[in-house]
Amino acid sequence: MHFSEDDLRAALKRKDPGEGFTQRVMARVNQADAKNKTSPATEKSRWLWLRRWNLRPAWTFAVVAVLFLSFAWAGYEYSEYRHQKIARENQQRLEQAEEARDQAILALRIARNKLNHVLQHAQLPADAIPSENDKIRRQRL
Amino acid sequence: MNRVPGTLMRILVGLVLCCFAARGYGQNARLQLANLEKLSDKASHITEVTLDGALLELAAKFMEMDDDPEAAQLKDIIKNLKGIYIKSFEFDEASQYSQADVEAIRTQLTAPGWARIVTDVNKRTGEKNEIYLLKNGKQIAGVAILVAEARELTVVNIVGPVPIEKIAAIENQFKHGNKEEHKKKGGSHEKK
Repeated sequence: MHFSEDDLRAALKRKDPGEGFTQRVMARVNQADAKNKTSPATEKSRWLWLRRWNLRPAWTFAVVAVLFLSFAWAGYEYSEYRHQKIARENQQRLEQAEEARDQAILALRIARNKLNHVLQHAQLPADAIPSENDKIRRQRL
Repeated sequence: MNRVPGTLMRILVGLVLCCFAARGYGQNARLQLANLEKLSDKASHITEVTLDGALLELAAKFMEMDDDPEAAQLKDIIKNLKGIYIKSFEFDEASQYSQADVEAIRTQLTAPGWARIVTDVNKRTGEKNEIYLLKNGKQIAGVAILVAEARELTVVNIVGPVPIEKIAAIENQFKHGNKEEHKKKGGSHEKK
């Protein structure tokens, strides 16, 4: 494409921007400024409570204290629960063992009585338990 | 080639013999006493004790905590036992159990390993009391005491290496055992 000198001159000729150009430009500048100004303000309002919070160390201390006490109480309760559970289990085991011991004693007493009963009837002394090779048969008429 | 089947045969025979030996060694000293359950209705007094190895171990541990020498003596008796099973029925009237009930127990005691060492028969009353031992080599692996009297049927079955002399020599007074013999406790129960 070829442009002649006249074409370029016509294209680059000075044009009048018309009335109110300055006002329009200033209005746009103000609009852009206003946009830039509103956003940080909204951002700031979001974190305003934090700024207020920073201003009240007493609240911070109270919250930390409540949290600390809550954790301490929960820990104590859990340790008490564990302690009671272990104590309960130990008690159960002890009761079971005591019961088993009583059972064993009862069983041994019955075994002893019946063993001696049979040996007495067979006229054998209790300290002379026969071995497999000494089979004893007594008949009473 | 002809030697291979012969060797195989020997190995097979050896294995079979080993199986039989193992069966003999591992035979069960515990008697099945379930057939006596039906006598519960007729009996006026029932004593039943079922103590397996775990319970005996627990009892032995508990006795260990006791400084009493009697407890030590009892612990010494039960420490290696694998079980004590007792069923005792007392009847108000005679002939409440049948010979078949007793024979069911005696049949089990005819298994290999069991040997009857004492038999006491009273022909007048029909009482027959017996003591059986199960042996594993030289060691006692179980004891069965069968007391079949007119108004009483008792089976005592102790499983494990039973120190039978020690049981017979247990003193009459137990520090912890002065309770009624037939007191209801845990695995034992009574009916009066």
